[in-house]
Amino acid sequence: MTRPWHWFAFRPEPPTDAFASAPAFRADGTQLGFLATWLVGSRRKPVGALGIDARAIDPRGDPAWISLALAPERTRVPFDDPAVCQAMRMVLCGSPADVMSTLVFDPSTIGGAFTATHAPTPEGLADDPFARIFPHTLLRVHAGFVGMMPAPAGPGVQRYSGAPWPWDHF
Amino acid sequence: MASNIHRPAPGDDLPDFELPDHNGNCRRLSALVGGDPAVLQFYRGFWCPKDRAQFRGLVKLQDQVEVAYTRMISVSVDPPEVEAAFRAGIGARWTFLSDASRELQAQLGLLEITDTVHGPYVPTVFTLYPDLKIHSVYNGYWFWGRPTNAELATDLRAITRAVRADWEVPVR
Repeated sequence: MTRPWHWFAFRPEPPTDAFASAPAFRADGTQLGFLATWLVGSRRKPVGALGIDARAIDPRGDPAWISLALAPERTRVPFDDPAVCQAMRMVLCGSPADVMSTLVFDPSTIGGAFTATHAPTPEGLADDPFARIFPHTLLRVHAGFVGMMPAPAGPGVQRYSGAPWPWDHF
Repeated sequence: MASNIHRPAPGDDLPDFELPDHNGNCRRLSALVGGDPAVLQFYRGFWCPKDRAQFRGLVKLQDQVEVAYTRMISVSVDPPEVEAAFRAGIGARWTFLSDASRELQAQLGLLEITDTVHGPYVPTVFTLYPDLKIHSVYNGYWFWGRPTNAELATDLRAITRAVRADWEVPVR
């Protein structure tokens, strides 16, 4: 079975051991750093990495806009927090993005959310529900990082065996 | 009127059909059901007061379904954009499927022949095992044939008990 998640992190320099990585740019074109993922099980958890739904990442994926919402360091927000549950409900109510995955800090703590579109403009990300909970950044990445995944089936807002929502089976 | 079409019945396997969802994206039933128990509802359309009354109950039920590793799917002959507007209007957070071509309706024998204007589905609710085997069927041509939320909960409890190996709490 495909593992339900990868490790995901933002890095100032391109990692040499990543499954996929891509330079990340602000909307004005300035480079912020690199997004990177590693296969779970291939190595120890990279420092500061968060779990992301494996379907969100594709080394052959098209260029994309990303709404990256990240919990501030030393801030612990439980996945079961009503605000997080409501953000998931809002994702289910709205128009689906090409990619949406919560980011898992540990078995009970959310680290943020990764929402992306392959559209040429980022308008579809303007109403990211997780941007109401966490500080968020709009990023542009070239081809080779962001995948495609089906919209969550709904109405479930619980995670399966601790995998990043919306991974949808045990 | 007698019919030669065999409508799906408890114990049958539903066909793993593929239809566009309310956003126009092609979705397969087995992918939507995943590994979970499911409620599959066929409804006439947004215009039907009985359907609207039923949906009010289902929208209440989704607050329990969302935490119960269970799926809900609704199907009509309305086009995706109509379903999307209806879904948003009632506050549903599950997937709606559009059988605008009516091919699945014919395959399942669920054309409501007494409505020659809309040609809708006979309102029908299936409760399903994760492998698409039918647990129960509710014929909602008359409103009281439709399942209450309590009846759906009873079905979903039975299905969950049957498919979750750890229904009986694990002990040391």
